[in-house]
Amino acid sequence: MAPIVRVSSLDKYFGRLHVLKNISLDVQPREVVCLIGRSGSGKSTLLRCINFLEEPSNGSIQVDGVTVESHGRGKEHRQLIHDVRLKTGMVFQEFNLFPHMSVLENVIEGPVTVKGMNRAEAISLAEENLDSVGMLFKKDEYPMRLSGGQKQRVAIARALTMQPRVMLFDEPTSALDPELIGEVLNVMKKVAKDGMTMLVVTHEMGFAREVADRVLVLGEGEIIEDAKPSALFSKPKDPRTKALIDRYRTGGR
Amino acid sequence: MENKTAQQKSQADLLVEAQQRKQNQFRMGAGATWGVLLLVLIFLFSGKTVLGFETIQLDTEFMRENIVFIGSGLGQTLLISILSISLAICLALLAALGRLSTFPPVFALSTFYVSLIRGTPLYLQIFFFFLALPQLGIILSGLMAGVLALGLNYGAYMSETFRAALSSVGKGQREAATALGMTPLQTMKRIILPQALRFAIPPMGNDFISMTKDSALVAATGFVHEVLWRATKVGRAQFNSLEALLMAAIFYWLMTLVLTFFQTRLEARLAKGDR
Repeated sequence: MAPIVRVSSLDKYFGRLHVLKNISLDVQPREVVCLIGRSGSGKSTLLRCINFLEEPSNGSIQVDGVTVESHGRGKEHRQLIHDVRLKTGMVFQEFNLFPHMSVLENVIEGPVTVKGMNRAEAISLAEENLDSVGMLFKKDEYPMRLSGGQKQRVAIARALTMQPRVMLFDEPTSALDPELIGEVLNVMKKVAKDGMTMLVVTHEMGFAREVADRVLVLGEGEIIEDAKPSALFSKPKDPRTKALIDRYRTGGR
Repeated sequence: MENKTAQQKSQADLLVEAQQRKQNQFRMGAGATWGVLLLVLIFLFSGKTVLGFETIQLDTEFMRENIVFIGSGLGQTLLISILSISLAICLALLAALGRLSTFPPVFALSTFYVSLIRGTPLYLQIFFFFLALPQLGIILSGLMAGVLALGLNYGAYMSETFRAALSSVGKGQREAATALGMTPLQTMKRIILPQALRFAIPPMGNDFISMTKDSALVAATGFVHEVLWRATKVGRAQFNSLEALLMAAIFYWLMTLVLTFFQTRLEARLAKGDR
């Protein structure tokens, strides 16, 4: 099967800091891939390179048949990046809902402004997605009045309403109070079950073990392990992976 | 369960009530004091002698005769203010965006403009447009010169407000919009500006109120018949400057009171999403 996401020989420098070192990675359609690693390992940067929130220094990104090379310039290049962004939905650690818009307005903003979808159609699609994340009852509320977990569920609905092929989650539960993490993870499980391709940067080992098809471990800008969760959690090959898993075990999650 | 929530609610309501009562008391106290201060001020100009204390006697006949003449300058004052503030807002926005630009010439153009305008007196700028430009063959009416000078001047000051407001919108907002596929222009228009404006409205309101009064400087050209120009004209002619200027002052004051009222309402409306 042709991969839906292909990262080829990706390098990323921040100044002289080499944060991603020649990363290559394929993700199959409907696959759920969790990226774990210590902070500073480059996992978020890798995710953000896929939709060009960070410009890769070298290499190329391919999403659903659209290939974007680093070092591209000009109108054509910008169009390719735009195409990739339309094919990827992103969920941020800090939710980043638009505070001046109601929940419903947040969710229809993308389809209406970016895709030029007519408003009525966008609203019905948005309501469908808000319903599936259990947030339809708050559609006229402003984000300020929602809990963290509710905000993140709205953010997921906002990304889904763009009808992306791939969803990128950047530590979606790291800014949440512990008792609110479950509701967001449940929504993510549902999205996975509906067949969405997902890349998830997370510290939630339970989620990785239960939902992921593959777990990638990043360390110092490289993929140090790439395995099924059952294999990875029971028999980690790299000592750094073992240390990482042990740390979470003692940490309780 | 039902009972418990009802009880909790009533407790919350009680707290809110107590808070409101306190607020109302404060408002009433402040309002009463305003009333007293106003009465004292009116008394000072009443001309009555109380307990041997002589207050100021105003020429009420002159005031009656000239109130319409001075008051009909309000239209000009408002016209100048509205034209100038519109120009100022456009310039301020451009200058603020320029200030945040990473392209050196644009950044320089913006900072140069702000520096030049803030570094010279407004009074000089008005005269420059009215008196100096004709030497170069550019002849502006008093009104045009005034609007240009006020607009340029307030634009420079307001650009700092706009810059701060634009920077106050977190970078996560830009990223979320970008990830949705919005272009930089769409992001600015739909996401950044609406949020920045909310921060900028209170100081912008202040600037507008301040400008309605600085518009009086345009009277110096001698060709714009706004409130102050009219007041000084009749005041000097009949040696009644005290009365004339008092009336002008009251007109300006009333105008700012009305504007402040609208500013407060606008702020409340823009605050949606903060509740």
